[in-house]
Amino acid sequence: MGIKGLTKLLADNAPKAMKEQKFESYFGRKIAIDASMSIYQFLIVIGRSGTEMLTNEAGEVTSHLLGMFSRTIRLLEAGIKPVYVFDGKPPDLKKQELAKRYSKRADATEDLNDALKTGNKEDIEKFSKRTVKVTKQHNDDCKKLLRLMGVPVVEAPSEAEAQCAALCKADKVYAVASEDMDSLTFGASRFLRHLMDPSSKKIPVMEFDVSKVLEELNLTMDQFIDLCILSGCDYCDSIRGIGGLTALKLIRQHGSIENILENINKERYQIPENWPYQEARRLFKEPSVSTDDEIELKWTAPDEEGLISLLVNENGFNIDRITKAIEKIKVAKNKSSQGRLESFFKPVAGASVPAKRKGTRCTLAIPKPVVNPKMYSLEASFHSKPKAIGSIGLPSVDLGSRQAMVFYRSLCCGI
Amino acid sequence: MLELRLVQGSLLKKVLDAIKDLVNDANFDCSATGFSLQAMDSSHVALVGLLLRSEGFEHYRCDRNISMGMNLNNLAKFLKCAGNDDIITIKADDGSDTVTLMFESPTQDKIADFEMKLMDIDSEHLGIPEAEYHAIVRMPSAEFSRICRDLSSIGDTVLISVTKEGVKFSTRGDIGTANVVCRQNTTVDKPEDATIIEMNEPVSLTFALRYLNSFTKASPLSNTVTISLSSELPVVVEYKIAEMGYVRYYLAPKIEEDDEETKP
Repeated sequence: MGIKGLTKLLADNAPKAMKEQKFESYFGRKIAIDASMSIYQFLIVIGRSGTEMLTNEAGEVTSHLLGMFSRTIRLLEAGIKPVYVFDGKPPDLKKQELAKRYSKRADATEDLNDALKTGNKEDIEKFSKRTVKVTKQHNDDCKKLLRLMGVPVVEAPSEAEAQCAALCKADKVYAVASEDMDSLTFGASRFLRHLMDPSSKKIPVMEFDVSKVLEELNLTMDQFIDLCILSGCDYCDSIRGIGGLTALKLIRQHGSIENILENINKERYQIPENWPYQEARRLFKEPSVSTDDEIELKWTAPDEEGLISLLVNENGFNIDRITKAIEKIKVAKNKSSQGRLESFFKPVAGASVPAKRKGTRCTLAIPKPVVNPKMYSLEASFHSKPKAIGSIGLPSVDLGSRQAMVFYRSLCCGI
Repeated sequence: MLELRLVQGSLLKKVLDAIKDLVNDANFDCSATGFSLQAMDSSHVALVGLLLRSEGFEHYRCDRNISMGMNLNNLAKFLKCAGNDDIITIKADDGSDTVTLMFESPTQDKIADFEMKLMDIDSEHLGIPEAEYHAIVRMPSAEFSRICRDLSSIGDTVLISVTKEGVKFSTRGDIGTANVVCRQNTTVDKPEDATIIEMNEPVSLTFALRYLNSFTKASPLSNTVTISLSSELPVVVEYKIAEMGYVRYYLAPKIEEDDEETKP
């Protein structure tokens, strides 16, 4: 689920920490991806109509294989070197959250049965999506597939997000790609959103730089973690009545959750009993990850026979399509040997900044085709809706909200 | 306030043709010394650098450094409206979000002006260190363009190797292989037809032909091209613009991967 409202908070308060990038610009980069999240998305989206799923002859679901296969090829074709990280054992604190999701799923199953009885198609689709669960079998299938494709797989001891961040901190990968804002809290130095959105959606990749986030918010990493806990994370409840913005104010004022708890009006804000914020903080700061230097990330040639046997013989995919796809992987393999200019020339800090003509130009110029005048009017109406913005300060709105708009179209997807 | 008057307006058209294949959006930076641009292609493999020194303009006034973000395809649309003999004047006010392009016919009987919207482009400048190159090849630009075009119909990449013998361009593809060797040749009628090879050390590097082909779009700017190669650096392909500056392209080489990695 990630951190509640963090994207919007950052869009409004740390716009410089986010950069729109083109998908192609990650050419040659090693990118860590949370596999479980991807598999979940595939199971929800691919090959679904009503309660029917894409299956093989034996009736086992194959959506995740198709999704993983085509998405990975898309990344490889762009010259990106993906590393998939799989979840291990969830931390104890997350069990509560998981139990909640479990019960939600149970509710959804009931609702689904009702919907099936009444035959309401929309409801059937809606609730059957909610009953999706990623099983060990799905994970194992995908691991097998990825290994056959020659893509490295890392098994995290605990949370995949944390492991991705650790790989990034250790400079083993260039960035972490996820839709889950947790990655920032875990300290991934570079974090990408929308990297894996279908190209047809034309959503630019959004790159977050954690050091810039801290700089812009004027917080230390510890304070940022506290901010995320207060905003609402997977590990513990948050305080009722405190959202991202209030949390930011409080952290800036008091410096840490401890100080906030001492100074806050306890009658107005109910602090949960035995609030395990310290535990949550520890999970973010020192998550259980494997820091072994032994994690070797190697991209190898695909195992053609293995892939055909897995996808065609066992799971009934069309052999022509798979052979063509394998051909694509081979071509891509050759492409990834192209060097990047940045490995030879280093960016000059701020070289283009003094040349800017006016500080407020962002509102005048039309920066990217994504933002057309229509969106500005949308934006205006959006901001006039007090309910939606709460008590957001207006100063950074002109730049921030532009990026925020792009975010609102993001996948609302939780595990 | 910025005001530049370029008598040879066709030059600007040629410059744009030389870069618009490679980059979509770029910042034109103007300072008191000249008009310049640096931009990378979207996959950050190639970089183009342009310099037009102030001396080359009939009139050059730039009070304050400004950087103008433009979509090059849009700029090309405007420049299409200019005749080849037209005199082009570029004007921009400080802090304005538009630039004015004025085209005057040589006989002064027609004047057209166009206003183009600018855009905000967030781009990184790369610092390019001065370097000693292992080998520098100067050859007719048409020849280089021909070689790149020919080889790209056979393979995707070219191995450029410079030895005492000369410079060799080779490629390999599904249908076969190709090698073109150019030897040093200074006994020509016109100096621009000469092929001159300066070599300190033999060097050989592989490049994607797709990029080299888009570099050769600059051939109309200059009769000769200079290719500078060093084993640890991107290749530099330079087209000089007479009395004004240059268009330079940098291209990162293909990297030889470890044997281990290519094994299944």
